[in-house]
Amino acid sequence: MSTKMRTYLVIFMTFVLLVTIGTGCAAPKETPQPAPTPAPAPVAAETPKPTYPEKEVEVVYHSSAGSGGDIFLRTMGKAVDKNLGKAWVVNNMPGASGANAWNYSAKAKPDGYTLLGISSTIITSPILNEMPVSYKDFEPVAMMFTDPMVLFVPADSKLTSIKDLVDTAKAKPGKVKFAGGTPGELGFVAGRELMKAAGFEIALVPFEGGGDAAVTVLGGHLDGGIGEYAEIASNVEAGKLRIIGSFNKMPLSPDIQTVAEAGYPEVKVEKLRGVLAPKGTPKEVIDIIAEAMKKALDDPDFKKYYEAGNLIPSFKAGDDFRKLMDEQDAQIRAAVGK
Amino acid sequence: MLDSLITGLSTVLQWESLLAIIFGVAWGTLGGMIPGINATIAMALLLPFTWSMDPVIAIMMLGGVYCGGEYGGSIPAVLIGTPGTNAAACTVYDGYELHKQGKTGLGLYTSLNSSVIGGIFSAICLILVAVPLAGVALAFGPAEYFALAFLGLSMICSLGEKNVFKGILAGFFGILLATVGFDPIAGVPRFTFGFMSMTEGFNMVPLMMGLYAISEMFKQAQEVMAGETFNLKVKTDTTFPKWSEIKRLFPFNIFGSIIGVIVGVMPGAGATVASFLGYSWAKRLSKNPDSFGKGNPAGVAVPESANNGATGGAMVPLLALGIPGSNSTAIMLSALMIHNVTPGPMLFTKSPEIPYSLFVSMLFANIFMFFVGYLFIKFAIKVTSISKQALVAVIIALVFTGVYAYSLEIFSVAVALAFGLIGMILRRFEIPHTASVLGFVLGFIMEANLRRALIVSEGSMGGAFFNSTLSSILLIAAFASIALSIARGVISSRKSKTSAAA
Repeated sequence: MSTKMRTYLVIFMTFVLLVTIGTGCAAPKETPQPAPTPAPAPVAAETPKPTYPEKEVEVVYHSSAGSGGDIFLRTMGKAVDKNLGKAWVVNNMPGASGANAWNYSAKAKPDGYTLLGISSTIITSPILNEMPVSYKDFEPVAMMFTDPMVLFVPADSKLTSIKDLVDTAKAKPGKVKFAGGTPGELGFVAGRELMKAAGFEIALVPFEGGGDAAVTVLGGHLDGGIGEYAEIASNVEAGKLRIIGSFNKMPLSPDIQTVAEAGYPEVKVEKLRGVLAPKGTPKEVIDIIAEAMKKALDDPDFKKYYEAGNLIPSFKAGDDFRKLMDEQDAQIRAAVGK
Repeated sequence: MLDSLITGLSTVLQWESLLAIIFGVAWGTLGGMIPGINATIAMALLLPFTWSMDPVIAIMMLGGVYCGGEYGGSIPAVLIGTPGTNAAACTVYDGYELHKQGKTGLGLYTSLNSSVIGGIFSAICLILVAVPLAGVALAFGPAEYFALAFLGLSMICSLGEKNVFKGILAGFFGILLATVGFDPIAGVPRFTFGFMSMTEGFNMVPLMMGLYAISEMFKQAQEVMAGETFNLKVKTDTTFPKWSEIKRLFPFNIFGSIIGVIVGVMPGAGATVASFLGYSWAKRLSKNPDSFGKGNPAGVAVPESANNGATGGAMVPLLALGIPGSNSTAIMLSALMIHNVTPGPMLFTKSPEIPYSLFVSMLFANIFMFFVGYLFIKFAIKVTSISKQALVAVIIALVFTGVYAYSLEIFSVAVALAFGLIGMILRRFEIPHTASVLGFVLGFIMEANLRRALIVSEGSMGGAFFNSTLSSILLIAAFASIALSIARGVISSRKSKTSAAA
């Protein structure tokens, strides 16, 4: 075989492989999401209620093992196991901005043995990336926590309260610069909602991940930032950053003024953590899981964990949970204009 | 500080700590050696086992994996022209060339010595100035990051072997690749063509493995079919280099280590950027830049010292600011968080034994790395006597496995394959694919920070970049570098035209 022939052969074989992988990957996308038929419900209902769970429960999550959300889910799993009697096994399916995990679990058998751990990402990412899957393809099981969102400034900043920020920003529209999340992320949404309610304007500089944002604020390159409490807690404790207000009441730090207390109760931003189940999962099964999750909140080991992270327990099941997700969906759509 | 240091030393000098460090280094080196598995993946694989350990032991072991991983990547870079980790990509240039010239021992041991020196240098920096070093991370805002990335990119020109313009072309191609995926500033997906997997952009590991490993294996497979044997025509010298040779490279090691520590401290930059910057600066500042890429041991010494120098630097933002600057340190963060230890400024006052044990353990890890590396080299050298058919097949399998293990997505395998093909095309036209990788690595840092800086300056370019001394200096250096390269390119192409005409 000549050199030229060999080169063409290699290129040809590579293309064949690529096309195979390409069609293999694309296939699930082409099949439209089948409308959930009511059929599975009676089938599952035949199984007598007390038998759930008979085996381990798979909990799918969209980020890799060792990420913050993954550790949370595993720690919660240990507490839920005690009440459920069977183990929660976390299955990490990262990639595709979450779509891999969500497509997989949306199509799983709705029998309560496949669940989905979620954060607000399941509302944000499908909107921004125009995904064919969203939280609407699932049944809400229960919301467990809110990640507190705070407004923070460098320790030497003149801003000391939400009122200060509003007044300064009103005096110099657009001149105050705050680090925030990427468009659609809840830190970004929170900033927008507050600006709308209080009628001021600051420049929001988008950062991916709160760490980089915090470093930039610490270095004095920006006037402040909006982000999750957990990501800046150690710098607040060390007196390098100061919290001037929060979007959620933190039971462990009651002195921090909330936006509602500062006079803007209409600003409601809740970065949530919870669990969903595939559409069609029988209600009895969902109730059993939700009950086990609720009880887990009192588990002493788990309590120690979530209090250390200053997570706010905000248990919501069924329609309350659905309503909150619907509100957040509308909020994010308004923020990004989609 | 001395007290904390003694506490740290006494923690490290216990047999379980020492065992954990040695195991970590060996595991990391092994992972680094396998193309497709980098330090981060090697650490992630070990993470679940640390959950039942004492947090200090866990973090020391992960620190060992990190050091070992950054070193291990250079072994396949020298022996088969395929970097085991991203940060070893630069080592291929001169390391593989040395091997082809039969100076295998010089290539392998230079990389080992340089990694050890870089690692020890950065561990000493950590012990002495960890907290002040955090200031480096804080000095860099959006404008400064942009300027640094721009300066880095201006070095692309020096990576184009014969033709400066091909280097620039390859660099732009890399920047284009970096724009694929979710745009973090405007919040829209770009160039995803409806594939959900592309919304996260191209992952570094499959991209690099495609461009380097797969395309190299394709090339070698063609040679096998042409009936070439793997055994080098020249006799290989696998002995440890002479002391005079080691001594000669010492300034290069220190140069690489300093760049490594400084770049390592900056969140988001890391070992890969450090080794590229180190290599291109060394080439530019060298009296004999043409010898780089043709088997100059300094071309191995600088990037290897730089990527191991970055290991210590990367610990600074994690421990002093509580913010992980890279994927590897993010894993260390989660290893600490699971034990309710929150890194941050308070860690040094509340539980100083953790940071200081880690610092001291990294010093030990790098000393152990010398012996572990020595053993691994003895073993790895045998690779060259394996039949080429078997080797190519095994490496392709390892690469695809590693790429899949990293992302758990079959999409990544497709990305690696596609970039294997692109790599072949780039080789065919002698376009330096390393410049594309540098463009890819720096393109995203440059773009996001340019746009952030412009938001801060309210749209004024001058206000964004010439308000800070640091960014002004970096930008002026970058423009000077570009002007020089283009002038050089124009002159050399005129020369070749006249010589062709003559």
